[in-house]
Amino acid sequence: MSLFKQSLLKKVMVLPITAALLVSPFSVAKDLNYPTKNLKYTIAFGPGGGNDLMSRTVVEILKKYKFYKKNIRVDNLAGGSGAVGFNYVAQQAGNPYHLTSTSGNFLGTPLVSNTGWTYQDFTPIGLLAQDAMFIVVRADSQFASAKEFVEYAKNNRITIGGTGAAGPERVVASLFAEAAGFNYDYVPSQDSGGLITSLTSKSIDAIIANPSEVSGQIAAGNFRPLAYSEAQRSTIYKDVPTFKEQGYNFAFSLPRGVVMPSNVDKDIQQWWVETLKKVVNTPEWKDYLETNSLSGNTIWGDDFSDNLAATNADFKRILTQIGAIK
Amino acid sequence: MFFAEILNNLSFGMSVALTTTNLMFLLIGAIVGMIVGLFPGFGPAAGIAILIPLTFGLEPTTAIIMLSGIYYGSMYGGTITSILINTPGESATVASTLDGYPMAQQGRAGPALVMQAIASFVGGTLGVILICGFAPVLAQFASSFGPSEYFLIIMLGLLLLTTMMGDNKLNGIISALFGFAIAMVGVDSVSGAQRFTFGSPELISGIYFVPVAIGLFGIGELLYCIYTGQHKMEKDRVQFNFRSRDFWPTAKDYLTSKFTFIRGSIIGFIAGVLPGSGATIGSILAYSVEKKVAKDPERFGKGEMRGLVAPETANNAASAGAMVPLISLGIPGSGATAVLLGALMMWGLQPGPTLIDANPDLVWGLVASMYMGNMILVALSILAIPLFVKFLDIPYRLVVPVIIILCVIGAYALNNSIIETSMLLFMGLIGFGMKLYGYSPAATVLALVLGGMAESTFLQSLIISQGSLQIFVERPLSLALTLFMVGAIGLSLAFRAYKRYQAKRSN
Repeated sequence: MSLFKQSLLKKVMVLPITAALLVSPFSVAKDLNYPTKNLKYTIAFGPGGGNDLMSRTVVEILKKYKFYKKNIRVDNLAGGSGAVGFNYVAQQAGNPYHLTSTSGNFLGTPLVSNTGWTYQDFTPIGLLAQDAMFIVVRADSQFASAKEFVEYAKNNRITIGGTGAAGPERVVASLFAEAAGFNYDYVPSQDSGGLITSLTSKSIDAIIANPSEVSGQIAAGNFRPLAYSEAQRSTIYKDVPTFKEQGYNFAFSLPRGVVMPSNVDKDIQQWWVETLKKVVNTPEWKDYLETNSLSGNTIWGDDFSDNLAATNADFKRILTQIGAIK
Repeated sequence: MFFAEILNNLSFGMSVALTTTNLMFLLIGAIVGMIVGLFPGFGPAAGIAILIPLTFGLEPTTAIIMLSGIYYGSMYGGTITSILINTPGESATVASTLDGYPMAQQGRAGPALVMQAIASFVGGTLGVILICGFAPVLAQFASSFGPSEYFLIIMLGLLLLTTMMGDNKLNGIISALFGFAIAMVGVDSVSGAQRFTFGSPELISGIYFVPVAIGLFGIGELLYCIYTGQHKMEKDRVQFNFRSRDFWPTAKDYLTSKFTFIRGSIIGFIAGVLPGSGATIGSILAYSVEKKVAKDPERFGKGEMRGLVAPETANNAASAGAMVPLISLGIPGSGATAVLLGALMMWGLQPGPTLIDANPDLVWGLVASMYMGNMILVALSILAIPLFVKFLDIPYRLVVPVIIILCVIGAYALNNSIIETSMLLFMGLIGFGMKLYGYSPAATVLALVLGGMAESTFLQSLIISQGSLQIFVERPLSLALTLFMVGAIGLSLAFRAYKRYQAKRSN
């Protein structure tokens, strides 16, 4: 008796789900009946980091303004510098109910280890923020501009610090030296605290750092930013010139963007481009950019692919040059 | 003058912090911190990060007060596992296992836990007072530390490791070298090339402290206890309550360690001010200074109260000290303070040298709340001790699976990494062997933590100086540290020679 009841209950519950499954592919193809299911937002890093913060801000906005009609589940799937979480999303090829946020490791980790995926295994939606770098010197140093710095570096030995041995900081330093034609010694710090004190203690000449790492010191008048590594000026630090406009022809910034698994319908990709364009226009997003000193210049859809490819190529070339990868 | 400044700052801070809301959230933070500290591997950084979303609706000051409560509260909880099951949850409490665990084994778990709480309180409170008086001066001091100075401080820590290695120095050194070997795994800090990672993404960022420490200490100890047949022994029931005399430390405990409290706090605080592994080096320094000044150093490592008080006051004073670079320079000294820094930025505050002037209510309110938080925590810890001591009543054969499960969860939860979990079990086997043959797991895990930092700061210094060792004597601070180290070695050698000479003469 109870057995019969149970199976009946099961049938009653399963029926609408099967019906929904049968209907949905048709409607997607027709007039984009999307979304019909809950979204899973995977964060490939632990809670509290930059990627986590950005992802949760995006999800908060999607929920608050009801841009996504169904529920959104957020999961931190950390491990192997992003390898685990991005791999999980890459495995969901064709499933339009998965999103994840990119950051430096999205390009860096596949370059240095066997992850089984690269940036090409994802459908790009948009680059929501640019995580570019400053070159910073002490305010009491002799360098008032990037030009003076280069002049000096051409005739003298110069040391530039950054976080990590083969990270984006080193790529920016190398691209700058290459474009300006000087040699330098790179001093890698293990964390941002060590990086900042290596400059305050007058151990080195300059550092490459994220604006958020040095904003306090800049505001206090201890540090001076000489140039910014994005293609355009930061939307936050409008008075710091880019490397490009000072005649050093390169740009490098880490993609803080959103991607989906590969083989997702073009219409759904477009749906997300439109939706995220609404997200970046909210005051909440502007607050996020401001507090994290991120630049809000956006790139959408296939242009984002091109941007990823270019950044990846620079990254790969410099890492090969310094011997971090073969 | 400093005294007036301390009072001024504290009373202003109290006026901010003493509201019902703030006190309530401070209490929540303190409790969460203690619980977070209790689970090996689940440190304050993760605890703070998970609770940040809960603080969105709060005033920034209230939120920061609560999150900081988690941070220093975890220092109280963290030692409990070091004492009861010989498992340090983070590197700052490794030194506390050396005398804390033997005390528990001798049936003095009650006094050890009470003294740990009191030592934490003294360290934390003296730390707060030092922040109020000296924050600007100390911030200046911290910002003049470059790679060469850090290398020398870490070397000092490594040098003092020898006091913690136990009786067999050769075994101790082998243990430390094993720790260095583990520290080699991962990305080379200068070239970015990978060492011993075998292409596996899980190993790129190196082998983390938690699986090694929990394996060597926790699992190793369990295996050893089973090997010696402790699970078959009938135990006397431990009868502890607040009225029982065995529960409280004796007058002798307090008397012998009265200066230990002060020395430990000051050493810990100064080490904590330096960004980096402050609390770890502070606890090593405090422990070895205590052992060096003691007339009876042979008692250390066998359940000596001073051997517990020194690292405990030091690591709590260090967590207060780490607030100095955080609030006055915007420089995080540890994983947990880095998350706090992120939280500050989320509320639109700009961490950095301008924070104290721009938001004095936040800064001094926070500092004053730390003062009260320490009072709450010492009361909480002492009240909770009977509960923890009850744990020792449980038959050992039932405890073993529970601890193993806790250890595995702790190691897995950190990075969801199955590789780290198997590493934990493997390290457990090694830890068992170390215990059996008299090697020192403390030396291994501390060498693992300090070794990586020593390598990277040494190489940074050499890049800066183009390979010349002169950098360690050219900069004034470096020179002072180098002289101090040489002096310490020289004194220690002279002292030993003198003792030998005396012994010869009395023969």
